[in-house]
Amino acid sequence: MKIMKKHGVAAVAAAMLTATAVTVSGCSSGGSGVASDEDQTIVVWDYYGSASPITAAVPEFEKTHKNITVQVEALDWDSMLDKFPVAVSSGAAPDLVTADMTWLPTFASGGLLSDLTPVSKDMINGKAFSDVYNAGALGAMKYNDTYVAAMYDFDAYCLYYRSDVLKAKGLTVPTTWDEFLQTVSSMAEDTDGDGTFDKYALQILPDSFHFAQLLAQNGGRFLNEDDTVAEFNSDAGVGALAYMQKLLDAGGIYWGPSEGDSTGMPGIKDERIGMFINGPYMMGVIKDGAPEQSGKWAVAPAPVGKQQGSYLGGTGLVIPTGAKHAAAAWEFAQFLLAPENQEAVFTAAGAAPATTAGLAMPALSEPDPYFGGEVPFKDFEAAMETATPFPYVAEWESIDSSITNALETALLGKASPKDALDAAAKSADSELAK
Amino acid sequence: MIAPAVIILGLLTFWPMALSFVWSFTKYTGLGDPQWVGFQNYLDLLGDPLFHQAALNTAFFAVTTMAVGPALGLATAILLNRKMRGRAFYRAAFFLPVTTALVAVAAVWKLLLNDGGIVNQALGLFGITGHQWLADPNTALPAIAIASIWQGFGFEMVVFLAALQGLPPDLLEAASIDGAGPFRRFWHVVLPYLRPTFVFVYVIGLIGAFQVFDQVYVMTQGGPINSTLTVVYYLINRFRALDLGQASAIAYLLVAVLAGLSYLQVRLARKWS
Repeated sequence: MKIMKKHGVAAVAAAMLTATAVTVSGCSSGGSGVASDEDQTIVVWDYYGSASPITAAVPEFEKTHKNITVQVEALDWDSMLDKFPVAVSSGAAPDLVTADMTWLPTFASGGLLSDLTPVSKDMINGKAFSDVYNAGALGAMKYNDTYVAAMYDFDAYCLYYRSDVLKAKGLTVPTTWDEFLQTVSSMAEDTDGDGTFDKYALQILPDSFHFAQLLAQNGGRFLNEDDTVAEFNSDAGVGALAYMQKLLDAGGIYWGPSEGDSTGMPGIKDERIGMFINGPYMMGVIKDGAPEQSGKWAVAPAPVGKQQGSYLGGTGLVIPTGAKHAAAAWEFAQFLLAPENQEAVFTAAGAAPATTAGLAMPALSEPDPYFGGEVPFKDFEAAMETATPFPYVAEWESIDSSITNALETALLGKASPKDALDAAAKSADSELAK
Repeated sequence: MIAPAVIILGLLTFWPMALSFVWSFTKYTGLGDPQWVGFQNYLDLLGDPLFHQAALNTAFFAVTTMAVGPALGLATAILLNRKMRGRAFYRAAFFLPVTTALVAVAAVWKLLLNDGGIVNQALGLFGITGHQWLADPNTALPAIAIASIWQGFGFEMVVFLAALQGLPPDLLEAASIDGAGPFRRFWHVVLPYLRPTFVFVYVIGLIGAFQVFDQVYVMTQGGPINSTLTVVYYLINRFRALDLGQASAIAYLLVAVLAGLSYLQVRLARKWS
């Protein structure tokens, strides 16, 4: 970033040249097959951090695959996003990468991701993709009808709430939008009387992930069926944003980009946040970040509007274009997707395994003391059934940015939901027309 | 002897610059062949409201920081050019933020300006209700500018201090003998003497100000409502969207503006001298 600041795009190009000097593979073999007598080193880029289920799986994999050495390189989410295109375009692509599912439209449309069919024959550990994943996940893994990712963990939203506070205030878990509004209003407190809620408030994140949840529940969609025109400014979209605004006014705490940490952990720790809607990965985050609140939190299905619905995301395992050891990388990917190793997504990282067999592993159905002895995973699994990914269009990055801008504009009271979304839709249509 | 340096410079600086200049006339994702589009990327930018906002924000940041920073640096330099107790300590203290990583400084300022941060707590002591400085589109960019001025004015102070120490004392003495008071000595002797230093400070400062990125990245990520979106931040966004052609065009527009401003400053300096 420092280089970028000094020389702009020239530095990008410089970085690309420099990246070519980086040896990402210790193997001279350029073949795509995995001959048993051929030693290979695959390079894996992993953004899971210190609690990585991928790093944990390497010793066992290397034991059973004597000719394949796995070299894991840890990168944070932002670095991965910046370095991945540079590495691929400079011919220095790693062999396997953990990629946020929201990156897929941009990366796939840019030609950065390999079609997995040639290397997998659409099979994972001897089973067809369709037998390994549910329908929502299968849809999210495809770009232009070809598989470009194998989903490793999934993200679908449920309601996290402070069960102790809810109980103390004599409230019940909300199941509909109307009930949710009432509950949020009763939960949140303005302790210093400055007009803003500072205790047990609902975290309101002005991002397209959370808007997607409400949009889907209100019967709306981001784009039309052909993905050629914006539809998020329909009555359903405007209603969804107006409802978001009502939640904020009733008892929400605005958690914009300046808060930095979108998980809301600082607010959870100091109890400004008493409710939030987020994915299963937050179970691990909250346990690590607020161990003193063990037993005080619970998870429930997100309150329903006109219908069920959620944003669907997560992490996909992708093989970049130009990967030198695609077959060996796929071997490792299959190993990671085996049910016993999928369990580690939960036990090591506290996230949700994406395969149906992984979700059925015993560790995921054990009562969780942190969440009052309940089994939160069943709610996330149910949410996944009706979840949908973002539209898979090349322009999504720009459209997402316009939507976020509209959400901020409306939630900060600078424009009505309709005006804000109309402006964003105009910008999105212009992008799509390109 | 200089061949290795020239080769390295050429390979790592001039060649990529030339490459990205060519890309600025293409549609290019980084893979495959760039597709020639002529001036389309530049024309798109000129009609892009988001780019206009980024340019305006950047100009606001540059004007604000360059109006206050050098003035503060000069005032501090004049104060610390006098004999006083603890002078070395103060000089080091004011320069310390310059040596600190910009990201660290931004992170600290973010904590200070947060809802429950020290700034709001201090205001609370006087019965003043705090403000969400970084979450309000009206105050986010000024807040970033203030943090940047605090971080950077120590550099300007050192440069002015070095120049002031080279000021021949007999010039000031002669002015005093002629009856000039402190203000007239400052206006008619010190300021003209510092003119080349001002040019240096403004050329370097403006180049840095127009490339503001780190503070925005850490403190607001371009929000809220794009109120802190800057040109370089927008460039990175285009890069992340794999639109290398437009990202390159933004970089060259920035180069053109900075080159123009630097040329203007040098011309003005020559005219005044």
